[in-house]
Amino acid sequence: MNRGVEIRDLRKEFALARWQGLRRRLSQVTAVDGITLDVPAGQSVAFIGPNGAGKSTTIKILTGILHPSSGHVTVLGLTPWVERRKLAQHIGAVFGQRSQLWYHLPPADTFELIARIYSLERDAYRQTRDALVDRFELGPFMDTPVRKLSLGQRMRAEVAASLLHRPKVLFLDEPTIGLDAVARQELRDLVREWNSREGATIFLTSHDAGDIEHVAARVVVINHGRVIVDGPVTEVRRRYVSTRIVRAQFHEPPRQVDVPGSVMRSQSAYEWVMEIDVSVTPVQEAIALLLQAAPIADISVEDPPLERVITRIYKEHAS
Amino acid sequence: MKIPRLNNAWKYAWIGYTAARSELTYRAANVSRILFLATVLFVFMRLWSVVYAGLGTEQLGGLTQTQMLWYLVATESILMSMGRLWYEVDQDVRTGALAVQLVRPLSYAGTHFGRSMGERTVRFTINIAVGSVIAMLLTGPIAFSISGLAMFILVLPMAFVLDFLGALLVGLCAFWLESTQGIALIYSRLMMLLGGLLLPLDVYPESVQPFLRALPFAAILHAPGRMLVSPSASLFFQCLALQAVCLAVYGAGAFALHTYALRRLFVNGG
Repeated sequence: MNRGVEIRDLRKEFALARWQGLRRRLSQVTAVDGITLDVPAGQSVAFIGPNGAGKSTTIKILTGILHPSSGHVTVLGLTPWVERRKLAQHIGAVFGQRSQLWYHLPPADTFELIARIYSLERDAYRQTRDALVDRFELGPFMDTPVRKLSLGQRMRAEVAASLLHRPKVLFLDEPTIGLDAVARQELRDLVREWNSREGATIFLTSHDAGDIEHVAARVVVINHGRVIVDGPVTEVRRRYVSTRIVRAQFHEPPRQVDVPGSVMRSQSAYEWVMEIDVSVTPVQEAIALLLQAAPIADISVEDPPLERVITRIYKEHAS
Repeated sequence: MKIPRLNNAWKYAWIGYTAARSELTYRAANVSRILFLATVLFVFMRLWSVVYAGLGTEQLGGLTQTQMLWYLVATESILMSMGRLWYEVDQDVRTGALAVQLVRPLSYAGTHFGRSMGERTVRFTINIAVGSVIAMLLTGPIAFSISGLAMFILVLPMAFVLDFLGALLVGLCAFWLESTQGIALIYSRLMMLLGGLLLPLDVYPESVQPFLRALPFAAILHAPGRMLVSPSASLFFQCLALQAVCLAVYGAGAFALHTYALRRLFVNGG
């Protein structure tokens, strides 16, 4: 049974040695400070935080690479640091800055090797490989050495390689780093599709708000080793930023109107883009005021970019 | 029914196979290694000509000039097939790539072992083939026997395993040292000087020979080299015995360091 991830009061302290003259002094550094978290099977979670917040340490504990100082963790019902190899059979990982593909060989060769590493049944492997090649559109370059691939092609092959053994939990660490906008969006769509089709739990760490927005349903923000925010992406966005982006298109050039608590983001002859603080002027009132400017042809109200929400959360908790 | 240990061995064998295929694509590296080997052989052929003529002797350390060059073909082929395993391990430790590799159901040392053996097999095969052609052109053939060649081929795997363990030990020092470059340099120079890379140990002063013959370096370079040019059953069994002892010592050291390093990684994160 796919049981997701359970974390109870997880702590990790490191002993840091410093030399003062000839004397060696040991101090304790707390990297993870009592994290408690439940991730149901099949959920996609963005696990974010500033550098040094404890993300990597937590992920290393979840994958069995690091032993915690205290706390209880199960991933798919297994204790990672006790049953690392058994767990490794059921989890996958993509590290945006580290390649698992053999640089001078085509992706097809790495796929074959992975099939052996995970002892996959040949028929099942071929079926999964063909499905991934088809969906990730790897066909045209499956037999091209990795060194000749573009970064976008390479990352598609990287992610597909991590899915060959159909992992029940997938860890994605900065999977879109360095990719152009189109390749980034393609990769996000593929991961999201895999998540919904296979029901795999996804643990995403990224500094790119777009990744979080497109892949994750839930965001967990950690800082100083503690969970500071945990909730659905849409809810977190609204909780932390009280502004909305209102985009209005007019039938004729609008007259100047004063919308309290608003900032004009862009303005052209027939279109205004304003950011409105809804705690000062509620959306309905703002629309009523805009109607006084000119007849409206079209209007949309959007949440602020997640990037700003995250910055706000970091700043708020830093202070 | 699956046999777990056999299944595990198959994984590492496939890593070796993949590494061998990958190694074959490094054409420029293979060509430059061949050119270097040709230069070394040519220089030493000239050098030995002067030495043998100057001393007015037919044999040095029991080897003729032709055998001396073929000995060099064997030892250089072994040494130049090693690659930079210590550097790869050093970088894995330093950059955290070691932790990333543990996300898979594989042993870290086993992965490098498979990889190293695969790459080495290709490099050694190219080296010895090209080296043999050059030696044949420069000094002509030596008297080969099937049993002699068989003994040479049988002592090679253990020599490679020992060399792998030595490089792994050096690389794992990255857990404690700022840089392993210094220790790697010392290790490689000791290998060349004490292992009998350029000169067979038989040419060294008699007082130091027993000591040098008992070192693992001799089991990696000198013994296989001698096995190619002047094989004998007694030399073969001496070589196997030395390799077995060295394997036990190196293996215990590498196992202890690997276990300690992983424990440190598991507790301290590297």
